Amino acid sequence: MFEQLKNLAGREYYLISSLLLFMVFFIIVSIYLIKLNKKHISNMSQLPLND
Amino acid sequence: MQLEKFTYDNKIVRNFGIATIVWGVIGMTVGLLIAMQLFKPGMNMGSQYTTFGRIRPLHTNAVIFAFVGNAIFMGVYYSLQRLLKARMFSDALSSIHFWGWQLIILSAVITLPLGFTTSHEYAELEWPIDIAITLIWVVFGINMFGTIFKRRERHLYVAIWFYIATFVTIAVLHIVNSFELPVSFMKSYYWYAGVQDALVQWWYGHNAVAFFLTTPYLGMMYYFLPKMANRPVYSYKLSILHFWSLIFIYIWAGPHHLLYSSLPGWAQSLGIVFSIMLIAPSWGGMINGLLTLRGAWDKVREDVTLKFMVVALTCYGMATFEGPMLSIKQINGIAHFTDWIVAHVHVGALGWNGFLTFGVLYWLIPRIYKTGLYSKKLAGFHFWIGTLGILFYAVPMYWAGFTQGLMWKEFTPEGLLKYPNFLAVTLQIIPMHVFRAVGGGFYLLGAIVMTFNLAKTMLKGSLQANEAAEAMALAPVIVETNPMDKKWHRVLERKPMKFMVFSLIIILIGGMVEMMPTFTIQSNVPTISSVKPYTALELQGRDLYIREGCVNCHSQMVRPFRSETERYGEYSKAGEFVYDHPFLWGSKRTGPDLHREGGKYSHAWHFNHLLDPASMSPGSIMPPYPWLIEQKLDISTTPAKIRAMQTLGVPYPEGFDKTANDDLKKQAMEITADLKQNNIKVKSDREIVAIIAYLQRLGTDIKANKETIPSNQ
Repeated sequence: MFEQLKNLAGREYYLISSLLLFMVFFIIVSIYLIKLNKKHISNMSQLPLND
Repeated sequence: MQLEKFTYDNKIVRNFGIATIVWGVIGMTVGLLIAMQLFKPGMNMGSQYTTFGRIRPLHTNAVIFAFVGNAIFMGVYYSLQRLLKARMFSDALSSIHFWGWQLIILSAVITLPLGFTTSHEYAELEWPIDIAITLIWVVFGINMFGTIFKRRERHLYVAIWFYIATFVTIAVLHIVNSFELPVSFMKSYYWYAGVQDALVQWWYGHNAVAFFLTTPYLGMMYYFLPKMANRPVYSYKLSILHFWSLIFIYIWAGPHHLLYSSLPGWAQSLGIVFSIMLIAPSWGGMINGLLTLRGAWDKVREDVTLKFMVVALTCYGMATFEGPMLSIKQINGIAHFTDWIVAHVHVGALGWNGFLTFGVLYWLIPRIYKTGLYSKKLAGFHFWIGTLGILFYAVPMYWAGFTQGLMWKEFTPEGLLKYPNFLAVTLQIIPMHVFRAVGGGFYLLGAIVMTFNLAKTMLKGSLQANEAAEAMALAPVIVETNPMDKKWHRVLERKPMKFMVFSLIIILIGGMVEMMPTFTIQSNVPTISSVKPYTALELQGRDLYIREGCVNCHSQMVRPFRSETERYGEYSKAGEFVYDHPFLWGSKRTGPDLHREGGKYSHAWHFNHLLDPASMSPGSIMPPYPWLIEQKLDISTTPAKIRAMQTLGVPYPEGFDKTANDDLKKQAMEITADLKQNNIKVKSDREIVAIIAYLQRLGTDIKANKETIPSNQ
């Protein structure tokens, strides 16, 4: 499987930069999630049940 | 703050609900018909309007855009109003949206059997209908955002994020994949050609699955499942992570539909990596759904709506595990072009989309009619017959897929293909196709029973068209007392337009990285000097090939495997497709690949084969095409077609549009003269002559000119 990710004839920067982009995005979302207010979360998850 | 009284519009929900049921039964019936055509060619009914190639797109369009489409709008219109504590923005827009969408579907039902198709899978409708879809989609968007703006609930629940992402992404996908140059009222050519067209189409095709069949349904799952189980979603944090990762990753995965094709290798690898990563958010969503039922599994035993939801989520999990696996090149090499893909798609379609829709319908219809379900027993029967239907559908199709993939590749110890005749494989899987139709029949029977059950429920109760509700008016945010309120996401949740723009940026990144290099860097699609534009007759023949939907069963993409080059000839090169507006690579080999068909057989063979395929290939399941001999080729369109091709950059000589028909007639005369020598008398102005010309041209440009192939191809 990993053979498919090598030997890209010099075009691997497309792949590496795409993965980096996702990593940065994923880390930002994760940090935000960790810091999220518990009360807000609980209010939000109750929304469908309160209508 | 004042308590405001208002009403929810249930009538529009009911209308979309009925449309879901009606189109669902129609779409599935057409599906059953085409399934039977694959083991009994007589089911094509001898009419051009009911042959497989023309009505297979009718089935896919009906179940995707009519059945699932209406179900999405039903779910969105019900949940959006309640989550925002507001009636829909405009009853008039709701009505325009509903009737406009039904008219679009009706136009598909009329035009697809007539042979008006662009040939892009799941985007077959011609340009006037594409414009109508755009307008109605905008109406839906205005209605949705109008409702969001006048809401009485400050924060947008996660289901609404999924709806917003659906709206914005489908808009982008539809517009980019509809760049067509109209030739006449119902005929157009895609702006892109060959590899680029393929990349755009599968970026669209893959993400239509993502943002039409998945994200709106996840939104519905996040609303309806907690309602049905009467408990909040297992983890709201996980739903946020699920949302952002899913919309970010999905958009990159399109190229996994083009592995081993002429698409540049780096783009294929990009597709593979992101496809495998996709397991994480998909399973995050599935687990979040299933764990919502923690402590409530006893309810699943009694409540049929929950039973449907559990199977739907399980099928979602299976399909989203299988999808990434199919993206691995070694597996894809065997599975691609086979019935395995059909099985994979239907686990998602029948299980995830179908069962979730049924669950929501059984839950929602009694509620808006203020009554109980007419018969729980019948609903239970529907659940079991539907589940059996999925099994009877999927298992034989997997079996057929493995059989095809392995038999196509099998060599004898001497190094020759063990099954050189393609038909040997086709005949081997006929029993599996019979079982598949039985499975489809079970599933359809379940849907018909549901229709009866829900109709009886509606007759028993009465529609509460305007359901009374009350909520506090939304007070403006003056002071942010809680520092957490300033967090970017909390702000985004309150600012729907910014939220939409942010989602748009996220989905555009993947699409741009994927597509821009192939469009802008010349070396990604090397040209081959011996590849020349089609002659006028071949171009007309190609358009007939498109009209008859040949691409539904025949690929034009020889992959670089020994099993394929041995069977078909030289593997396909990117530079061979530069004049193909649209590309016709196909995605399924019910019949053999045709990219190297040119010169393989005589004109007479093709004539007899099109007239009666079984006479040339005993046991063939290809339908006969006698009307190609009866119908006169319409050459009045030739000049406009040539001019359109010139606009798109095809290097026909200046003024060729005026002389093209003379060329066309001359080539047609040559073909009919050759046929005459073989005792076949046919007039040179018939459609069959053009299609023979096209088939005989396929893949021949480089056959005799191998030295013109660039070294990197």
